[in-house]
Amino acid sequence: MTTESQPGDRQTATIQMPAPTAWPIILAFGCTLAAAGLVTSAGISILGGVFMLAGSIGWFRQVLPHEQHEEISVAVQPVAIASARALVDRIRLSPEHRARLPVETYPVVSGIKGGIAGGIAMIGPALLYGLIAQHSIWYPVNLLGGAGVAHWQNPTTAEIAAFHWQSLFIAIVIHSFTCVLVGLLYGAMLPMLPRHPILLGGVLAPVLWTGILHSFMGIINPALADRISWSWFLVSQVAYGITAGIVVARQERVPTDQSLPFAARMGIEAPGMMHSRADAGPSRDKDKP
Amino acid sequence: MADHTLPIPGAITAAPSRGAALLEWLHGWVVTVDHKRLGILYVVYAIFFLLVAGAEALAMRIQLAIPGNHFVGPETYNELFTMHGTTMVFLVGMPILFGFANYLVPLMVGARDMAFPRLNAFSFWLTAFGGLLLYFSFIGGFGLYGMGNAPDVGWFAYAPLTAKAFSPGHNTDYWALSLIVMGFGTLGTAINIIATTLSMRCRGMTLFRMPLFVWLMLVVSGLTLITITPLTAAQIMLLIDRYVGGHFFDTQSGGSAVVWIHFFWIFGHPEVYVLVMPAFGIASEIIPVFSRKAIFGYPAMVAASVGIAFVSLGVWAHHMFTVGMTSVGNAFFVLSTMMVGIPTGIKIFNWLATMWGGKIRFATPMLFATGFLFQFLIAGLTGIMLSVAPWDWQLHNSYFVIAHFHYVLVGGIVFCIFAAIYYWYPKATGRMLSETLGHWHFWLFLIGFHITFDTMHLVGILGMPRSIYTYEADRGWNTLNMIISAGGMIQGIAVLIFAWNLIDSFLHGKEAGNDPWDAWTLEWSTPSPPPAYNFGADPVVRSRRPLWDLKHPNDPDWKYEQ
Repeated sequence: MTTESQPGDRQTATIQMPAPTAWPIILAFGCTLAAAGLVTSAGISILGGVFMLAGSIGWFRQVLPHEQHEEISVAVQPVAIASARALVDRIRLSPEHRARLPVETYPVVSGIKGGIAGGIAMIGPALLYGLIAQHSIWYPVNLLGGAGVAHWQNPTTAEIAAFHWQSLFIAIVIHSFTCVLVGLLYGAMLPMLPRHPILLGGVLAPVLWTGILHSFMGIINPALADRISWSWFLVSQVAYGITAGIVVARQERVPTDQSLPFAARMGIEAPGMMHSRADAGPSRDKDKP
Repeated sequence: MADHTLPIPGAITAAPSRGAALLEWLHGWVVTVDHKRLGILYVVYAIFFLLVAGAEALAMRIQLAIPGNHFVGPETYNELFTMHGTTMVFLVGMPILFGFANYLVPLMVGARDMAFPRLNAFSFWLTAFGGLLLYFSFIGGFGLYGMGNAPDVGWFAYAPLTAKAFSPGHNTDYWALSLIVMGFGTLGTAINIIATTLSMRCRGMTLFRMPLFVWLMLVVSGLTLITITPLTAAQIMLLIDRYVGGHFFDTQSGGSAVVWIHFFWIFGHPEVYVLVMPAFGIASEIIPVFSRKAIFGYPAMVAASVGIAFVSLGVWAHHMFTVGMTSVGNAFFVLSTMMVGIPTGIKIFNWLATMWGGKIRFATPMLFATGFLFQFLIAGLTGIMLSVAPWDWQLHNSYFVIAHFHYVLVGGIVFCIFAAIYYWYPKATGRMLSETLGHWHFWLFLIGFHITFDTMHLVGILGMPRSIYTYEADRGWNTLNMIISAGGMIQGIAVLIFAWNLIDSFLHGKEAGNDPWDAWTLEWSTPSPPPAYNFGADPVVRSRRPLWDLKHPNDPDWKYEQ
């Protein structure tokens, strides 16, 4: 905004403003009465119609042929536009801020590898639990894939401990898909964890995840919550976390775009930023004398 | 008798009597077309109905505080929750936010008035008379229980409950007619805001230099034009069903009750965004000023606002998961609802980034804006939970849903409305609101809010359905309901403190000056209250923070803005 008077500024003693008028309120009142007549009596609607007609005519006469205005005198009122905070401070960016955006990360494939390895690792504790607690390796499989057995209505423990190919198929799909997804998440997250990535990502995260699931499972699926052994569940989650973490951490890191100059990150082609193509001909700079 | 002529010492100037002065003052308000006066009328009207709706809510909470209570009967309870919902949405939320828009948009874009001042007055009076018509039903409405029946079909008035067979008399008609009348008022205001924003900006005020509040109101006004239309159409169809034998929603004659639900929520869900986006605009004005930093990511904020409006038009059927849609329909509305989280998340991160590293002053407006940030985040998270169809099947029509949308409407919108009143009251009246009372108001309201609505989630998860007027003592809800009601009372006390603050500060408040918050948008360059013409000279702006440029001539924004 500028304070100086500029070409085109109107600094006049009076200013034209639309003249006050009662016609809008009369028209609005008429409309409301016309509506109210539908639930009271026809007379009210007729009265509303009269008000509407009067309001409309009055309104038209306000704006046709010329809109009615009133002249308002400009009162000179001092307005102070100043700040008590004259100093402007700037946020200083230190290299530490940069540390939160990793300049190196793991390739996508490392997350997939970690997910697959973790998924295999957690099968061990799960099957062990089935064998020890229910004498059947199919018990944990059916807990995971039970949705695939269409005819199940409140299955017994014996039914859950038996083999069902539909359940096995669903369990494999859920297990594979989830393990790879979480593995990808590990690949993206581990470089951003400040220190002890295996401890944080491999142990603490599964513990937190198990705790959250434990607190919610009773509400989401009480029947399933009753059958899950949470200590064994935690063991299998930690087995996944540590294995996936180790596999991911052992992969070679690749630089992210964060280490590139801004122009390169934005995809702007600029001389000096990238290598010339072989068929691009001689550099223009070299042509200069 | 002799004829005497007595000399009169000087001219007699008869001062107008108090009654005449009062009449003249009232006349001035009734015939006004000034956007500021109309804005104030909107806000005062809405605050009055806020107190009314609050009283209705408290009556409901007294009824539910203990099991088997007889404070009100079931028929009165039905009226109370219908009128509370309708009042809060149509007579409080929309009028107060359009009131702020009326007052602020012309000032913020450097205009002297709205594009259509007479239409502006007409729109306000339609809204006002529509509200009065609705409340007249308490006296004149004839319903199932005889004379003096307010509408009792819920604020969404599902068919077939609204059919003549189940809602005899005409209390439901009061509901439909008043909403039609108010709907036309709302459409008029929306058209006015769009026209003002697009055609009356001062020199230099490009679209990307507009304050975010103006941007949000532009988006909201466009959304209003799209969403009020199906509601008005549905109301007219309902009246045709009830009066001239139509069968739009009559399932026994080939109509469909589900069509009403679709119509209502095609309006109803975007309506949530019509209400919440002005609140976003308010937060976007207050948070930077009290953090002493420019808003972070202005273009992203604008894009997110447009994105929210766009996505919000395709999510309505998440209110209808229990109707029994196809799997594809369910999946579509689950995913589209979750998508709202993306632009909303952008906004929350940008507000946090604005505060980060700033010199934050926790004056009352900023306290309310900060409360909004936290609560709106929680509301968004429970919204994502409810967007999952199986979760919704479990909790639909439970108090969990009530808690969720009160987190949005109270925790989000009402907190921002309070923030806005504390922020712009000095501009409108020339007086500061008491900070001491403001802090009392904030903390009591915050505590009351969380006691009420946090607990309401629990009672919902425990299975308490909405709209029941009482419950049996063996359900395990007793203590929780007592806690919820106690929280409601605390909020009531806070609102009374606020009302006292408004009145007392108007009479005895500290002089505000033109710019008490050291702010940056154009309205603060005018006296408080601004004159009828707003600006003595047409303003010219060069950046998004024109007053910052004036206050810091060595470091103006226009040097940096693209």
